[in-house]
Amino acid sequence: MIDKSLNWIDDRLGVAKGGRSFLDKIFPDHWSFMLGEIALYSFIVLLGTGVFLTLYFVPSAHEIVYHGSYVPLRGQKVSEAYASTVGLSFDVRSGLLMRQAHHWAADIFLGAIAVHMARVFFTGAFRKPRELNWVVGVLMLILGVVNGFLGYSLPDDLVSGTGIRIAYSIMESIPLVGSYLAFFLFGGNYPGSGVIIPRFFVLHVLIVPAILVGLLAAHLGLLVKQKHTQFPGKGKTESNVVGSPMFPTFMAKTTGFLFMTSAVIFGLGGFAQINPIWQFGQYEPYQISYAVQPDWYMGWLDGAARIMPSWEWVGYGHTIPLEIFLPAVIFPGLIFNILLAWPLIEWYKTKDSNYHNLLDRPRDRPKRTAAGAAMLALLFGVFFASSTDVMANFFQLPLMDVLWFFRFFVPLAPIVAYFITFKICHEMRDAENIGKRKRALIVSRTTDGEYVTAESAPRPGDGHEELEAMPVPTFIDTTDPELATAAGVRRVIR
Amino acid sequence: MSKTARRSVTARLAAPAALVGVVAVFSFVAFSSGSAQADTTTSTTAPVTVSTLPDAQPGTVQAVPTAVSAEPSASATADSASNHSGIYYTDLPASFIKPGQALFAANCSSCHGSEANGKAGVAPNLQGLGAGTVDFWVSTGRMPLANTSVQAIRKPPRFDRIQTLEIAAFVQSLTPGQGTQVPLVRTAGADLENGNTLFTLNCAACHTISGAGDALAEGAYAPSLHLATPTQVVEAIRSGPGNMPHFGPGNITNTEARDIAAYVTGVLQHPNDAGGVGLGGIGPVGEGFVGLLIGVGLLMLVCFWIGDRA
Amino acid sequence: MSDNKLSPPPATLDDPHLQPATKNPQRMQNLAILAMVVGMLGFIAFIWVYWINASNEWEAGTLAVGMLGLGVGTIAWGKYLMPQGPFVEERHDFHSSEPERAAFNAAITGRGGLEVKRRGLLLGVFAVAGGIMTLALAVPGIRSLGPKPAKSDDNQGSTENSLFTTNWKKGTKIVTVDGRQVMVDDLEVGGVLTVFPQGFEGSSPDQVILIRLAQLGPNDPPYPISPPGHTSYGVQGYVAYSKLCTHLGCPVGLYQERTQQLVCPCHQSIFNVNSGAIPEFGPAPRPLPQLPITVDATGQMRANGGFDQAVGPGFWERP
Repeated sequence: MIDKSLNWIDDRLGVAKGGRSFLDKIFPDHWSFMLGEIALYSFIVLLGTGVFLTLYFVPSAHEIVYHGSYVPLRGQKVSEAYASTVGLSFDVRSGLLMRQAHHWAADIFLGAIAVHMARVFFTGAFRKPRELNWVVGVLMLILGVVNGFLGYSLPDDLVSGTGIRIAYSIMESIPLVGSYLAFFLFGGNYPGSGVIIPRFFVLHVLIVPAILVGLLAAHLGLLVKQKHTQFPGKGKTESNVVGSPMFPTFMAKTTGFLFMTSAVIFGLGGFAQINPIWQFGQYEPYQISYAVQPDWYMGWLDGAARIMPSWEWVGYGHTIPLEIFLPAVIFPGLIFNILLAWPLIEWYKTKDSNYHNLLDRPRDRPKRTAAGAAMLALLFGVFFASSTDVMANFFQLPLMDVLWFFRFFVPLAPIVAYFITFKICHEMRDAENIGKRKRALIVSRTTDGEYVTAESAPRPGDGHEELEAMPVPTFIDTTDPELATAAGVRRVIR
Repeated sequence: MSKTARRSVTARLAAPAALVGVVAVFSFVAFSSGSAQADTTTSTTAPVTVSTLPDAQPGTVQAVPTAVSAEPSASATADSASNHSGIYYTDLPASFIKPGQALFAANCSSCHGSEANGKAGVAPNLQGLGAGTVDFWVSTGRMPLANTSVQAIRKPPRFDRIQTLEIAAFVQSLTPGQGTQVPLVRTAGADLENGNTLFTLNCAACHTISGAGDALAEGAYAPSLHLATPTQVVEAIRSGPGNMPHFGPGNITNTEARDIAAYVTGVLQHPNDAGGVGLGGIGPVGEGFVGLLIGVGLLMLVCFWIGDRA
Repeated sequence: MSDNKLSPPPATLDDPHLQPATKNPQRMQNLAILAMVVGMLGFIAFIWVYWINASNEWEAGTLAVGMLGLGVGTIAWGKYLMPQGPFVEERHDFHSSEPERAAFNAAITGRGGLEVKRRGLLLGVFAVAGGIMTLALAVPGIRSLGPKPAKSDDNQGSTENSLFTTNWKKGTKIVTVDGRQVMVDDLEVGGVLTVFPQGFEGSSPDQVILIRLAQLGPNDPPYPISPPGHTSYGVQGYVAYSKLCTHLGCPVGLYQERTQQLVCPCHQSIFNVNSGAIPEFGPAPRPLPQLPITVDATGQMRANGGFDQAVGPGFWERP
């Protein structure tokens, strides 16, 4: 039956030839190769929950009187976008779960991208021939951040509205074209002609996701075409990949992982409140709440804007608001461009144009590892700087002291991180047997009364034996009568 | 085959461990969410917090002189035809002044002076501030203050309700008719929607939209409103303690003040935490930590289980 | 490439690579089945929970247990019960062979390149036409989006199309967001109120924060404001500043009465109320523009003119 249908398909599409090599594609077993899948599967959850949300969300700034079931809002004039989001939360069954799961999935999506990217970076997996895939990945990160911001802005609540206001001002700060850009996008001076929510909606649910899906296909396509990298180890060379085949082993694991990712996201969606917009209320441009921050993946920009000194350039009848333009336009531009260009930067330094399919250990590339640590220190610094007020309140410190601390911490932390990491890498490289389990030292006394030490024999489990890797077998011989009697249950040879 | 043996040992441990871990996290979250509940989605009337003057603090003496409890209710019925503000003012009984003076002399006069006219650089002049101002500072436990160099913080009050009002009555007696009076706030029938709007416009900029409070300039901070009583909310609006602006009746009417008090005590103190644990009401900072540490963290543990570690 | 893969001899069923990774497959299979059954029950429970319309927590819990069980079972199946391997796959060169490359390059530079060279003018015209087409398509795509910002404060602008204009004029009545006229004795000392020009309640660029700094009568000397603020812009102890932060345009709604500071809740710029809202700390570069105000004979508060500069954050055209 299966044979028949497969033949039917192959008669028409000829999938057998390429399809089998796809089924035999080898995935390395190391756990760190699964990190990108967290992003992939949270993206799938995002698509699914997102479709649910579009069925109820009304992308309109039109004002209506709220009549839903949340009492403190009844009778208030709110936008349809806000009313429908509150309605999604209280009046659509399972709506709150879907909404919260969508938001958690976005937070996890970008978090997983960051972790995945750190793995790729620190192990040098972006080197030739995978530079293009690195670039595709960084583009997906940027689009993910953008789409996260767009989605966060849609409910038209007080917190997200403040975010839109800030985005407007950031656009306005770009020299020459800034006010034109802002006017065009918003349909006029802030808050614009009521077009921003419909426009953000189209970008959020159609345009950006479509590009993301395209890039995702390219990312995975390149992965299949170029095959995985792998850590050095027994039987692993530059010209092979060792691990589990796509079908059936990897497919089972990864399908299970899709379920696990969904379980965590929906679990959070039900048990951890996120963005309770009914508590925030409708956005009005003259209202503000203290302690408003963007979502975590935008926090680093907010932090950069906070610690920036008030340097405005004025002259020749023009103004360049450097206090906005530098931290909110130039800084992220610089960071993303460094990320995009990193394979090039490293090539420029090393002039290494060999193929690399075996990964580096971070300690063996101290300069790259230190540079990565410096970048992380910088981003963590500005990220934490975005919550100066919350920290000042939590630790009962004066707000200005906390801000001054970050004004010094943010530029200094990367430098310190660089040198410390560099030093640690060198120390680790020089140390013998690092990363291996220590063996016991046996001290014994010889008959002459002399004490000698000797290492004990390897413990069981240390230096375990591994099977020699073999190609995925084409056919399995089941003609052996003795084996065939096992009837589906494989005999275990031990 | 020692490799497979090792694998299966870790596997046997890893699978249930991951399961237990995830279930434990979920159940922890579930349990802690159980405590906070507000029926804002279903109830159609405002939560009723009638504060009979003096508004009863948990654990304080409930025996109220009849003169006090009778008077406001009488005035309430008298005013109810014309005044629906829900806030009633009444003079504190003259009998409070004498014990109040004794309490003041023992607990307050070392800084504020026996005539409550303050000491330069140490303590402000209290004359003319009114009984409501004194009631706010003493009933929130901010006064008496041990360390004058830092902003007073809310703590359990040192005096019971009657003693507090006695001190207030004494200070009021020094400048009769001046300053903020002690209100009787009846939040039943308040307009929560109006309170919500007014709170967002006037209060959220400092106290945050969830009433959690936050740090201000010069080492000051806006306190959390999660323990405030309706009386204290109205007293704070009217007297503007510390760095807080003063909101007079020309700015926020009595009715509006009552609506704000009802919103603070009814909604903010019992937020509708539909959708799980409230994560402290500090917005995306807390959410980011949960998303990264619990969300991505758990999934990385799953990766650790699925994949090889060698 | 598939030829050499077809060549290895068939594996036998007892090949160690094909054995499950666990020592006790039967037990692991039972565990995996158990997990999947738990998952199944979770999903059934979800449907039941939805049916009886229980809380969000129950829905999430049952759904998560369902997916968790199914996930654990599937992963256990893949990790412990499938061929343990390891298997290997050979990589192939990414680049094509030299002759293929040469032919490809030749096709572009030779065949096409020569043709392009020979008809250089044609190519030029095609490129220019294509470029103009892109431009033509982009023009409505961008220009239709919104109005052009008005050049400067030349009285043609409205708050909708100009960054320089507000609706504050000399004599404009000062009202609250509800449209209530603000009277001179509405605020107490230390009081603060968000106000708008009459008819433009709730408008973003027009928002003004009105503060009463002192209790002064009409004949008292004015409350002194240090430069760059104007003492003459205040009236009877009142001052009014634009509520739009000069940093990123958040409403500067946080008034600290004792220290006489306005704080922006977004990025903590701190403005001194007594000196024309000069920024004392934080990223804001300019003082909040001060609005001249006055009181008419009936005690109504009115604007005594518009702002003398653009309100809100900086931009290129701002002089």
